[in-house]
Amino acid sequence: MSFELWIAMIVAALGTYLIRLLPLIWMQQRLKRRDGDAAVDVLPKWLVVLGPMMIAAVLGVSLVPRTPDLAGWLATVVGLGVTLVVWRKTRSLGWPVVGGVLTFGVVVIVARVVI
Amino acid sequence: MPDTDMPSPSSGWLIGVREAVPLLGGYIPVAVSFGLISTQAGFSTAETLAISTLIYAGASQFLFVGMVASGSPLWLTVALTLLINVRHVVYAPNIAPWLPKSRWWPWLMHGLTDQIFALAHSRLPQLPAAQRVGWFFGAALLAWLSWIAGSLLGAVAGEWLTHRWPLLGEVMPFALPALFLVLIVPRFTSRRWALALGISIVAALLCTLTGLTNIGIPLAAACGALCFYLIRLPERVRPVGGKRR
Repeated sequence: MSFELWIAMIVAALGTYLIRLLPLIWMQQRLKRRDGDAAVDVLPKWLVVLGPMMIAAVLGVSLVPRTPDLAGWLATVVGLGVTLVVWRKTRSLGWPVVGGVLTFGVVVIVARVVI
Repeated sequence: MPDTDMPSPSSGWLIGVREAVPLLGGYIPVAVSFGLISTQAGFSTAETLAISTLIYAGASQFLFVGMVASGSPLWLTVALTLLINVRHVVYAPNIAPWLPKSRWWPWLMHGLTDQIFALAHSRLPQLPAAQRVGWFFGAALLAWLSWIAGSLLGAVAGEWLTHRWPLLGEVMPFALPALFLVLIVPRFTSRRWALALGISIVAALLCTLTGLTNIGIPLAAACGALCFYLIRLPERVRPVGGKRR
C-alpha cells in the first residue's frame, strides 16, 4: 500500500472506532447526570425499541444462505425450526446453534442429492 | 456499581469466550473470503491483516478493498466505509446501562461489532455486574482474534480452502442466523413486539435479496421501530394478573 493508502486505512479505522466509542461516552455522561434513576429508565425510549430491532435486522440479513438455491432455503427453514425446538427444550445459547448448524448441513447435503 | 478495574480471570471472561464460540461459525468463513478477496485485489498478507485488525468491520472492509482496487478516490472510499459503519452508533448507548464502571470500556469498544452487540445486549443484563467487563473482554477478544486469524487463513490459503471444502464455507455461516434467532426469540413478548420484530426481520431479508445489505440493517430496524410506534394491536385475553403491553 502507498503512504496515502495507509493514511486512508488508518482514518477509516479511527473513524469506525470513534463511531463505536463516542456514543458510549455520551450515554455514560447521561447516566452520570441522572444517577438517581434506574439505569434502564435513563435510556431514551426510542433506543430501547431500536436495540432489539437492530438484532432482528441482523438476523434478517444473515438469513440469506451462501448459495441461495432451493436446497439452501430449505436448509435455512428446517435449520431455524430445529434451532427453535432445541432452544425451547434447553433455553441455552450453544446447543440450539449446534443443532441448527448440523441440521442445516444435513439438509443441504440430502437436498442436493435428491433435488 | 462495583469498580472492576481489571478483567480478572475469575470475572467471567471464560463465560464470554464460551458464549462467543457460535460466532466463529460465521466469522471465520467470511474472514477467509475477505482474506482471499483482499489478496486478489492486490493487497499483501500484512496489509490484509492490518485492515482486519484495525478497521474490524466486515462489510466495510470488503467495500474498502473493492473501491481501492477499482481506483476510486480515497476520500470517497473512506467516506463510504464510515457510512456503512454509522449503524454502530446505537449499539454502545443500548448496552451502557449494564456496563459497570471500568477504565477498560473505551478500549473494548473496538470489539463492538453487530454480533457482539447482539450477544451483549441479551447477556449483559443477566450477568452479575462484577462479571460483565470480563465477559465482554472474553467474547470480543475471541471474535476479534478469529476475524484476524480467518483473514490470515484466507490471504495465505483461501483459494485452496474454498476448493477443498466448499460445503464447509456454506454450512458454518448458518451459526449466525441460528444464534441471532436464539437471541431475539425471548423478545417476542407481545403481539406488538412480535409484529415489529417480524417486520424488521423481513425488511432486512428483502434488502439483502435486493443487494442492499449494508443499508438494510438500519433501514429494517427503523421500519420495525416505526411499526412499533404506529401500530397498536389488541392483545389476546390473558388470565387475571397477566401482563398487557
